[in-house]
Amino acid sequence: MTSFRKWRQNNNFRFALLTFPGALFLLIFLVLPLISILVYSFWRTESYELIADWNIENYITILGEKTYLTFIWRSLVMAVSVSLVCLIYAYPVAYLIAKRGGRYRLILVLLTAAPFFTGIILRVTAIQQILGPIGLLNMALQTFGFEPIQILMYSNVASAIGLVYLWIPFMVLAIYLSLLNFNFQLLEVAYVNGAKPWRAFVEVTWPLNWIGTAIGIVLVFVPTFAAFVTPRFLGGVNGALYGNILEHQFGATGTWALGSAMGVVLFVICLIFIVIVWRTINLQRSGYTGEEF
Amino acid sequence: MTEPALKLEQVEKTFDQVHAVDKISLDVGQGEFFSLLGPSGSGKTTLLRIIAGLETPGNGTVHIGGRDVTRLPPYARGIGMVFQDFLLFPHKIVAENITFPLKMQKLPASRQKEQLDWVLALVRMAGFENRYPHQLSGGQKQRVALARGLVARPDILLLDEPLANLDLELRKEMEVEMRRFQAELDIPFIYVTHNQEEALTLSSRMAVMHNGKFEQVGAKLDLYNNPNTRFVASFLGSPNHIWGKVKTAADNIAILDWKGVDVQIPTLSDAKPGDEIDYYLKHEKILIQPPRATDPVRGENRIEGTLRDVIFKGQHSDYFVVFNNGEELVGSAAVEAESLKIRHAVEVSWLPQAGDAFLAEENQK
Repeated sequence: MTSFRKWRQNNNFRFALLTFPGALFLLIFLVLPLISILVYSFWRTESYELIADWNIENYITILGEKTYLTFIWRSLVMAVSVSLVCLIYAYPVAYLIAKRGGRYRLILVLLTAAPFFTGIILRVTAIQQILGPIGLLNMALQTFGFEPIQILMYSNVASAIGLVYLWIPFMVLAIYLSLLNFNFQLLEVAYVNGAKPWRAFVEVTWPLNWIGTAIGIVLVFVPTFAAFVTPRFLGGVNGALYGNILEHQFGATGTWALGSAMGVVLFVICLIFIVIVWRTINLQRSGYTGEEF
Repeated sequence: MTEPALKLEQVEKTFDQVHAVDKISLDVGQGEFFSLLGPSGSGKTTLLRIIAGLETPGNGTVHIGGRDVTRLPPYARGIGMVFQDFLLFPHKIVAENITFPLKMQKLPASRQKEQLDWVLALVRMAGFENRYPHQLSGGQKQRVALARGLVARPDILLLDEPLANLDLELRKEMEVEMRRFQAELDIPFIYVTHNQEEALTLSSRMAVMHNGKFEQVGAKLDLYNNPNTRFVASFLGSPNHIWGKVKTAADNIAILDWKGVDVQIPTLSDAKPGDEIDYYLKHEKILIQPPRATDPVRGENRIEGTLRDVIFKGQHSDYFVVFNNGEELVGSAAVEAESLKIRHAVEVSWLPQAGDAFLAEENQK
């Protein structure tokens, strides 16, 4: 009896008890589907039927055919550039809110997430209404006798604009949260010790908030790399990305096995990206002052 | 005549129509240890931030080393500064924290190393180069913060309550160290504090600040012994406060009616009978002894009371004496006065000139 009571008070037991519901949820809705996709990716499809015939043909197709590599490359470029644009756009916004927002800063941050009040399709359609051939921008230009801006109509640039718009709240929020714990007085210390403002930013603000920024970059990079709705609505015929081709396998062509393999490749690339970002984080160099992991 | 290291002329700063700093002028010489002493909200920190360039004065000019820096940003002023919360860069090791000003000046690495070794030896922190700030104790952080302020041998070092977050033991130790650094380097220190003991211990000259103005500037002993204003008299030494209306004024001595007890004070030229007076008397100016048989002579205050309590402070004790009028005076003396017993009658005596009398402000009680 006493040993059971002791065991109950054991921290490991408490930890297990507290994490059990979450772990179960993740197991059922994340790990199992991932495993099934991993399994399917080594099967093959024949006339819309999955056949448990173990092979690596799907991977050979994806990594060997130029078409698929091109789409991976396109999505990679898209994800990197959208992340960069979001970063450049979001940093000053988050910085200003954190530093000067005062008692309004919570409201201001929530406002950056205002687009989330509606669904993604609606938002992307709204952008279409502005950028498209008969959209607000080009109609206005034509009304005043100008040429419509071709690059904004059904192109990768249009997709990028849409994706930046979609994911920027994540970036703002991540950077804002890290800046909340930032002691802005450290900048005054830097100035007094001879640092010009940009130098103080590079030496103090950026490294001390790198964890938040890194999280923001991952939060934008991953969904952009996997995007298929936005490029379909805004990218047009020639603007398809990896996500569109992947989705195609599960729809029109019904090649589930190849689609699963594409999903695994997507997952692995995102994982590699996250590991690369994670490796840049040195807790000591981020001003982490607690126990070392 | 050489240029003063720091020259302030008619410096003014207003926040929301409140004069945080009100037309301040000041010269600080090379090698001076100058303290700005004042209660919180007196504007001393704002004044320091103006000197540092972290605030822009509404009016007036700031010269450092003969150069007008009023419109220059902090990074172009060639100053060092030590902050209250140490404010070390948490993501940089001690060596990087200290050499930060040198790195900003783009000093070659070998020179940086030289300066680092020199300043580490000065603040006795050699061997800690590779620690992160969170691996240091409070006193060590303070030493690193000082080293960072001194490493570039600035024209002037500004210190904003640098010892406020240290415990008493460390504070005493750092006070001694601070005087040593200042004497060795011959750099002027401008030291902001609300702690008068610190200001009196450390500085050669000091200013007492109140409501954005300098109440009095001068050598510390001069301020302590000859306060010019009511505020300085009431602030320095946390003295006893005696107040009342003038009964008679003759020759050098006036008689004050302190709730029924007559107190002799030096005559004020502008005080007529009936005027309210504040009279401040420092603890150590009071003599406490058993009642004497003889009558007091003119020009000597002798009041009988009861010893309420004695608080032993080590080098001296505080004696609390309560009088018939219900008021109390505190006297400090070395602990030899052991003949004094609590609840026994004692006699308190002092000379009128030992205290400082001022006309009370109109709205005072």
